[in-house]
Amino acid sequence: MRFNVLQFVLPESKRYANLPDSFIKRKMEQIYYKTPPHPNYLPKVHQRKKFYFELARPWTDTFRFQNQDKSDHVHVEPIKYWSFFRGDRVQILIGPDKGKQGIVKSIIQERNWITVNGLNTKLQLLKKTDKFPGIPFVFEMPLLVTEDVLLVDPFDLKPTKIEWRYTEDGEHVRVSVRTGRIIPIPPSHFSTADYKNPALYVEGDKDTTKEEVEKITFKPALKTFAMDIMDKMNIKEDRYQKPTYWY
Amino acid sequence: MATVIKAFKGLNTVNTVIKSLANLSLNKSISSSHFIPQKILSVHRCAFLHTTSKKYDLMEFFDDPKNWPKDTVKVGRSWSEDELRIKSNEDLHKLWYVLLKERNMLLTMEHACNDEYVIFPNPERYDKVEESMKNLENVVRERNEAFYFLETGESGERPSVYVNNILGLKQCYKLCQHIIPKYCNLSWKEKHRFGFNGYAVRKFLRLYREKLWNIKRKNRNRESNAAITLLKKFPDLDIEALKHKYPSIDINKVLRHNKLKGVRRKSYIV
Repeated sequence: MRFNVLQFVLPESKRYANLPDSFIKRKMEQIYYKTPPHPNYLPKVHQRKKFYFELARPWTDTFRFQNQDKSDHVHVEPIKYWSFFRGDRVQILIGPDKGKQGIVKSIIQERNWITVNGLNTKLQLLKKTDKFPGIPFVFEMPLLVTEDVLLVDPFDLKPTKIEWRYTEDGEHVRVSVRTGRIIPIPPSHFSTADYKNPALYVEGDKDTTKEEVEKITFKPALKTFAMDIMDKMNIKEDRYQKPTYWY
Repeated sequence: MATVIKAFKGLNTVNTVIKSLANLSLNKSISSSHFIPQKILSVHRCAFLHTTSKKYDLMEFFDDPKNWPKDTVKVGRSWSEDELRIKSNEDLHKLWYVLLKERNMLLTMEHACNDEYVIFPNPERYDKVEESMKNLENVVRERNEAFYFLETGESGERPSVYVNNILGLKQCYKLCQHIIPKYCNLSWKEKHRFGFNGYAVRKFLRLYREKLWNIKRKNRNRESNAAITLLKKFPDLDIEALKHKYPSIDINKVLRHNKLKGVRRKSYIV
C-alpha cells in the first residue's frame, strides 16, 4: 500500500471543516523530493511520514509549523467506535471544572481529545510588553475522552458510561448503561462551517441553483458522448477507420 | 538592338502597372457606389450565434472585481456523479468548459494574489472544481462504455494485460494500436520481450520473495510490539479496538507475551 498522509486524519476531526480530501492532503504533506514524471525514474517520494497532532488542524499553517523540525511520538488508546460528537452534553471528571457539564465544541480524534465550550480553560496574556499590560485570552484546553469526561444521560442529566447497541430497526445507537436509554446524536453533529443543516444552506453567487441541479435532461440514445455532441453541432464524419491490430 | 527594345518593353509594362495601381486608388470611391456581387462563404448559421458572455478580453481570467477584497468567497460543494448522471451530453459538454474556465480563473487569481502578497481566499475551491471535473469524466466514460458493451461486447477503453517481464515480475502492459499484424512487426518483437527463464532470474526471484517476506514479517513484529506497548500503557483498553487497529497480529499470542507479565488487566481479575 502506498503511503498517504490522509490515513492520519480521522473522520470526526475533519467533519466540521467540510473540506475536500485532496485539499487536506495538498496542505498537509511535506514533500522534500519527488522523482520527475519520466519513465526512466521509479515513482518515489521523499516526504515526512510521522506527524504530531495538537489543537491545530492539519490543513492550517500552524500545523505545518508544529511539524517542521521534529515530531514527538504519542501513545493513543485505540477506540473502536467514537462516541463523542459536536453538541453532546458531557460532564468533566478532572481539573478545576470538575463536576461541571458543558457542550462539546470541537473534536481531535487523532489524540482522543475533545474541547468543551467555556470549560477547562487557560488564561493567557498575549502581546504583553513593558508599557502594555497585554490582552487576556481564554483558551479551552483539550480533555481525554477515555478518562476525563463522561457523556450525560438526557433522562436524568447525570453522567453515565455508554454502550453501542443495535435497535430492532438495525440502527446503531448509543445506550446509557445505567438507565438503558438511547442517547441521540445531536443535530449539530451534522452541521459544518458552511451550514448549520444541509437543508438550510443558502446558495451563493457561484453556486448552481437547486432547481437547475435537479433538472433531468438526460435522454438515453444509442450514441457515444462524442457522437451525440457531433450530431448536436451538425458535424458530419464520413471517414471510416481501417482495421487495426491491438498488441 | 533587340535587348534595347526588350528593355523599353519592360519599362512600358512597369508604367502600366503603376498606372493601374493609381487608378485603383483613385477609383475606390467610385467603385464603392456600384454594387459588386460578392461571394458569401457557406458558413453554418451556428457560427453567427454567440453563446458566450460578451467579455472577450483577458479579464475573463480574473475573478469578479467585487470578490477581490473579500476574505472568504463562499461556494458549495463539488458536483457528485449522481447529479451528473441525469444531465444530457450537451449539458455535460457545456459544464466541462464552465469548470475549465473556473479552474483557469482560480489559478490566475492564486498567482495574482501571490504577486501582491495577499492571501488567496478559500484555496479549496480549486480542489472542488478538480473533483467535479473528475466526476464528469467518469460519467462520460460510463456512457461510452455502455455504448461499446452493447455494440461490440467490449469496453472502448485502451486494453491492458498483465505480463511477466524479463525479471520475472508481474507488470501491467498497455496494448498499442498498430497498422500491421503482430507476426510481421519485427521491430516491435525485438523491443518487447515478455517471459523469463534462466538460473539468474530464478535466483533473483527467490531473493526478491525473501525480501518481501522479510518486510511482511518485520511489519508484523513491529505491530505486535506496538500492541504490547499500548497494553502496558493502557492496561484496560478495548481488545476489540486493538484487533481492529492491528488486524495482522494474533492478539492471544500478544497477551501471553513475556513483556506483559506484570500488567494486570481487569478482565484477568474477573
